[in-house]
Amino acid sequence: MRFIRVIACLVALPFVALPQTASPLKAAPPNQYIGNDQCGICHVEIAKDFFRNPHYKSIASGKEAPEKTGCEGCHGAGGNHLAAGGGQATIRAFSQMTPAQIIDTCLGCHSKDLSRANIRRSAHTEADVVCTNCHSVHHSTTPKFLLAKKQSELCYQCHAPIRAQFDMPVKHRVNEGVVQCTDCHNPHGNFAASWRTGTGSNLVTASHENEEPCLKCHADKRGPFVFEHASVRVEGCSGCHMPHGSTNAKLLKRPVVFTVCLECHNGAGTFGRENLGVFVQSASHNMLDPKYQRCTSCHVKIHGSNSDPRFLR
Amino acid sequence: MSFLKLFLFSALAAVPVALAQTDGVTVGPAGGATYAKYNVSQAWELGYRFASVGGDEGKYRSDVNYRNGLRLLGSSLAIRSLEGHGKWFDEIVMTTAGLGNDPYQSTTLRVQKNRLYRYDMLWRQNAYFNPGLVVSGGLHQEDLTHRWQDHDLTLLPQSAFRIHAGYGRTTLNGPALTTAQYFDSRSDIFPIFQNVRQQYNEYRLGFDASVRGFRLTVQRRWEFFREDSSASVITPEVGTVPTVLNGYQANGPYRGTAPGWMGNLNGELSWITVNARATYAGGTGSFSQNYMATGTDRFGSLQSQQIAVSGTGNRPVLTGDFNVTLFPSSRLSVINNTSVANTRMDGANSFTQFSPFSVFTTINFQFLGVRLFANATDVRYRASKKFDVFGGFRYADRLIRSTEEGAAAGSPLSGLSAEQSNHTTAGVAGINWLPVTGLRLHVEGEMGRNDNPFTPASLAKFHTIKARTQYRKKNTTLGAAYQENYNNNSIVITSYSSHARTYSADASWMAKSGLSFDASYSKLHLDSLGGIAFFAGAPRSSLVSNLNSVYASNIHALNLGVRIAARKADLFLGYSLTKDAGDGRAALATQTTAAGQVIYNVQTFPLLYQAPLVRVSVKISEKLRWNAGYQYYGYREDFGLLSQNQGYRANTGYTSLLWAF
Repeated sequence: MRFIRVIACLVALPFVALPQTASPLKAAPPNQYIGNDQCGICHVEIAKDFFRNPHYKSIASGKEAPEKTGCEGCHGAGGNHLAAGGGQATIRAFSQMTPAQIIDTCLGCHSKDLSRANIRRSAHTEADVVCTNCHSVHHSTTPKFLLAKKQSELCYQCHAPIRAQFDMPVKHRVNEGVVQCTDCHNPHGNFAASWRTGTGSNLVTASHENEEPCLKCHADKRGPFVFEHASVRVEGCSGCHMPHGSTNAKLLKRPVVFTVCLECHNGAGTFGRENLGVFVQSASHNMLDPKYQRCTSCHVKIHGSNSDPRFLR
Repeated sequence: MSFLKLFLFSALAAVPVALAQTDGVTVGPAGGATYAKYNVSQAWELGYRFASVGGDEGKYRSDVNYRNGLRLLGSSLAIRSLEGHGKWFDEIVMTTAGLGNDPYQSTTLRVQKNRLYRYDMLWRQNAYFNPGLVVSGGLHQEDLTHRWQDHDLTLLPQSAFRIHAGYGRTTLNGPALTTAQYFDSRSDIFPIFQNVRQQYNEYRLGFDASVRGFRLTVQRRWEFFREDSSASVITPEVGTVPTVLNGYQANGPYRGTAPGWMGNLNGELSWITVNARATYAGGTGSFSQNYMATGTDRFGSLQSQQIAVSGTGNRPVLTGDFNVTLFPSSRLSVINNTSVANTRMDGANSFTQFSPFSVFTTINFQFLGVRLFANATDVRYRASKKFDVFGGFRYADRLIRSTEEGAAAGSPLSGLSAEQSNHTTAGVAGINWLPVTGLRLHVEGEMGRNDNPFTPASLAKFHTIKARTQYRKKNTTLGAAYQENYNNNSIVITSYSSHARTYSADASWMAKSGLSFDASYSKLHLDSLGGIAFFAGAPRSSLVSNLNSVYASNIHALNLGVRIAARKADLFLGYSLTKDAGDGRAALATQTTAAGQVIYNVQTFPLLYQAPLVRVSVKISEKLRWNAGYQYYGYREDFGLLSQNQGYRANTGYTSLLWAF
């Protein structure tokens, strides 16, 4: 263990020389735990309904240590706060804490779940969006997860362009309530994607642990197929589709299907699975004839086929 | 018996609720009612929904799809033990939305007993309709029902050792149209009726154990997919004279399994966090397909054709992640993540085609392998409580291998094999800054290169800029954001570039008097240019390669909401607008060539989609409210695509009683 620590510190050596400041939490003065009943004397409204709160489990248990029980489990020992007759300076008040302190406090208990395994490196954490930006422990309006608002409204607070996409005529039904943002995204951070180049973030949750989230619902597109559409597997669904919403049918990136296809199938360069360019359409096609402008009318199994390398059946 | 009494009594308890249709309106005394050491609260909203549509109803059903009928628009039930020591459970929470034939229906249920178990259920249903006009000229119409259910059970949820079990099921059923082209590649395309039947089942079992700040999670999955869709033509379909498809039948049962493992080790110490994961998912699909067609081809010859295909596809995926976060000081964090993924896709089939005078069989094999190595390092330095700076470097190495082989039965396979690798490097940097109390600024940028993009539209030379500022003071929030995504994938013969810029601003204000206001505006701009090549002309097509695919989209999106809450009644006014101004053209101009006209006509797609909304909720008594809502949907295309114009106007609404008792 010591060896690992030495190695890790050597790796971090260039940064260790920077000025260090002790965490304010660690610098808290000696204090005493007073129990929830004492808190409830002043904070009547919160105490009255606290049995509804998931954190009430820590009180009901009766077996948790004082620093992990009820009010003081999150707000720290209340001795000084009680002695001072209240005040934010004498208690761990979340409104006064830095984002890093908030996340450290919550993870003190909530680091156990797999869904939060990547929270330290998530894009939200990097942008200082931490637990209390989305969760309201005392004033939640949702039946589960103590969210401050309905999930989509919560996400729209910062992601207005995404709201705009879900307001478009063609969209996944998030506003209608049948799909939720967390069906595809993990706001607490994600493992690296196994599609595209695996370097982007977007907090996308893999389905089946390691595949695109789209395949969770669109199971028929998953295959495996004898004839895979290579770009689907290499570049992912967003190569052709807009995942949130679009003005185009089938969430396509272009208004008609043939430009989606032809922008890749132009025969140029060293693209494609054989480095020979993505092949141009057959000479039997006449793009002036409307039936050839709707590529998927014949190439019906465009996501992958078991019988035809051209995805015809 | 007491459990039954509890449920019966729950029908007499009062509760505050926030249902979908009433948007936060509450009824009844807060706190519900107490019975046998449980607090019970519930509410039911029953109403009638109506819709009147003019114009293209198929497009309306694709976009909105609300119809007439009686609905349980929403409901909620919560039973919670007051002391957290219930005999069988400590909490039951159930919510429903849209039950009774709304196109979007859902139910959630949570039942838990502290320290012993927690059960979560989610059920959803989506009625999906798509006319398929633009993509297939209406020949791929779908009227499907998509259902999902998910069950999760955790035993000993508060202990250091937890057991997890789960079950998920997805089904897709309903009538649809598909197409088939007979009897050669220049012949007609015929619509075929299809009975879609897909089913996916997943079983999960696992545990996690925590010891001294480290947690080990192991999960095992078994997944099964089956498809039994069939397609047929019963009465003859007449194409371009003399082509006729007299009969068609297609069956192709598919059975897929994907067993998988996942292991995760996560540790949190004061100076380091470690997160390691390994997953494996096997994937096998076996199939047998039979296609039969009879008719007359375009030369007037009678034809009959049967195709029989059988085989297996495989796709095992192996991934591994190792992530270390170091905190050398309270101001500094260093994160490194390494991921590897290996996906191997291979499959083989036997394809036999029977015609009146010939039989031939081919054996086909394909392999596509993608091996990915990705590494990312991020450093963040907090200069002060109000300012921090971060930067990082990402690297990915992707190896793609391909084999495509085929031959007539009895002959040795021959084909193409290839291998390529590409490397992506990208740097990121950004700041978080709180210049004054309540004002937050986040700026980040990424610039990267991919040395061998897989397709002409893949990322090659790309950069992203994101900036967001938010000001928050008491009941007011103001925000603005900008994002730019640029990609240039130019090569010698042709070129591809995509430039997307998004601007947005939002405001939220909540007055104490019961007045609140929300607004957001976004402008989503996209312009892209891609070199294309295609065949055009009759009777013989010739290659056209001197044109570009240009697409310009300028979408203005607006969302407004005003909520006024009075003592006896609440009012909500809303409006959403999506307007694509396109590239500014007022009409389609005539081009010099027919091929150029085809491309020119689809370079932009201006449209207007708007949906004003009003909802009112009137308090009748302590336990009863009357709600009503009206929403108009208007959709207009400035000029149709491929001769399709799908505008519509719809008046929709509902009236309901919300009863909280």
